[in-house]
Amino acid sequence: MHVFFVKEAWRSFRQHRGLGMTAIFSLTAALTLSGLFVLLSHNADNALRWVGDRREMVVYLKDDMTESRRLALIESLTRLYGTTTYVSREQAWKEFSEQIGDPVLLEAVGANPLPASLRVRLRPELLNAASMEEAARQVAQFTEVEDVRYGAEWVRRLDDLGAGLRRGTLAVGVLVALAIVFVIYNTLRLTVLARRQQVEIMSRLGATDRFIATPFVIEAMFEAALAALLSLGVLLTFKQAVSAQVTGVVFLPALGSLAFLGVAVALAWLASLIALSRVLRAVGP
Amino acid sequence: MITFEQVTKRYGGRLALDAVSWRMDEGECVVFLGPSGAGKTTVLRLITHEIQPSTGSVTVGTFRTGRLTRSQRALLRRTLGIIYEDFRLLHDRTVFENVALAVRIVGRFADSDITPRVRQALEEVGLNGMESAFPAELSAGEKQRAAIARAIVNRPAVVLADEPTGALEAESAGDVLRLLKTIHLEGAAVLLVTTREEVAAAVPGRVLRLADGKLIEGAPAAGVTPIAAAAPPPPPAIAETGVAPASAAG
Repeated sequence: MHVFFVKEAWRSFRQHRGLGMTAIFSLTAALTLSGLFVLLSHNADNALRWVGDRREMVVYLKDDMTESRRLALIESLTRLYGTTTYVSREQAWKEFSEQIGDPVLLEAVGANPLPASLRVRLRPELLNAASMEEAARQVAQFTEVEDVRYGAEWVRRLDDLGAGLRRGTLAVGVLVALAIVFVIYNTLRLTVLARRQQVEIMSRLGATDRFIATPFVIEAMFEAALAALLSLGVLLTFKQAVSAQVTGVVFLPALGSLAFLGVAVALAWLASLIALSRVLRAVGP
Repeated sequence: MITFEQVTKRYGGRLALDAVSWRMDEGECVVFLGPSGAGKTTVLRLITHEIQPSTGSVTVGTFRTGRLTRSQRALLRRTLGIIYEDFRLLHDRTVFENVALAVRIVGRFADSDITPRVRQALEEVGLNGMESAFPAELSAGEKQRAAIARAIVNRPAVVLADEPTGALEAESAGDVLRLLKTIHLEGAAVLLVTTREEVAAAVPGRVLRLADGKLIEGAPAAGVTPIAAAAPPPPPAIAETGVAPASAAG
């Protein structure tokens, strides 16, 4: 019986190729638009994670600190916030000298004014503006600490950028979902009306709505799956083109691509059920 | 099996049936005779639950008028075999596929049982060897025989025929009427609707005359005499089996 329904769906698709192809192209366009945002968001997330991994908090120490107190502080910070590395005054000066490079300028500075510091690579769950701000406030309360810096402004900007991209993707996703439902709904309505005589005859023979609807639902899911695959193909081509210009661009992971396909098919299923429940009541005798 | 009690049907201001009462028992043959617009097709549409009576009640087996759900309505229709004047075959399917569709819709048979059932129905109507033909390749008489095969393939307890010879020339019309007689003799109840006296005379059934929506001749609800003398025992009622197997069932 299942084979019968699949054959019926294929027969319907073949007989109304024009309608089916129009639906596939409309769905492909909508899904590509949505996929573009998903891809952009995925790459932005990747980039933000890469940058975020390099977020660190610099804790400047008071000059009169003993080694035992310093070791105790390192142990506390490591336990509470993340891996902590000690940078001595000499090491800080060496790094500063390498960055400046010009000996005349360095000579003008005179004696090493830089304090010793601790660099804390924060744990992943603390890599957001609010947590970093709170962590910095807590660390500043240690008596051995002179000052704490963590680039509050750019951390906040990075977080805002990430949140904005996610919101944009969600908004586009909702719009595209509505577009898919709209396209499938109207395509099925037209398909059923085009096959009105068949639907009427089946209904007169005692076919249930489910029996009549199943091939149409399969057809809609097939069209959505084909459109999603085409859309993934377009996105992959786009990604390859961009990769030639920009390094580090990645495609959606296999699971993400499968989810993209699954969501498209699920939306088609939902839209076809809504459409058929209304259309069959109007068409059947 | 089928009972109309004081059934009136109005389409807007037009009266299609006016307080009509009649009854049909299992295995009986009834012919509704009357001119166009007399209300004959309305009778069939009330039986198949395409329309509801304005007043009165229609009972088919255990299904009584009122708001049946869509699945109950489908179940009711699966207990009937219906033949139309314009055949109503699906033009994009072969004769075999048209008949097999009715079997699939009933959903009681495995895929492996469908082919023998369809072949037997086609053999009964004399269309063996034409399984692969499309309706467009058939004559009008052959199309109607294919439609009859589709109507009887599930061995319904009742066969409804709406002017089954209306589109046929004399010889094909005779073939179709002989087939309907055979179906009746094998135990199915047959309800035939026609405008033609000679068709009514050709089948061994009780004739009910309709004119302007009124039953003007023929026994109504009581005193029904089923033409069962030459027929085998009637098939089980719709209420018991849904679709009753006639003696010729394969």
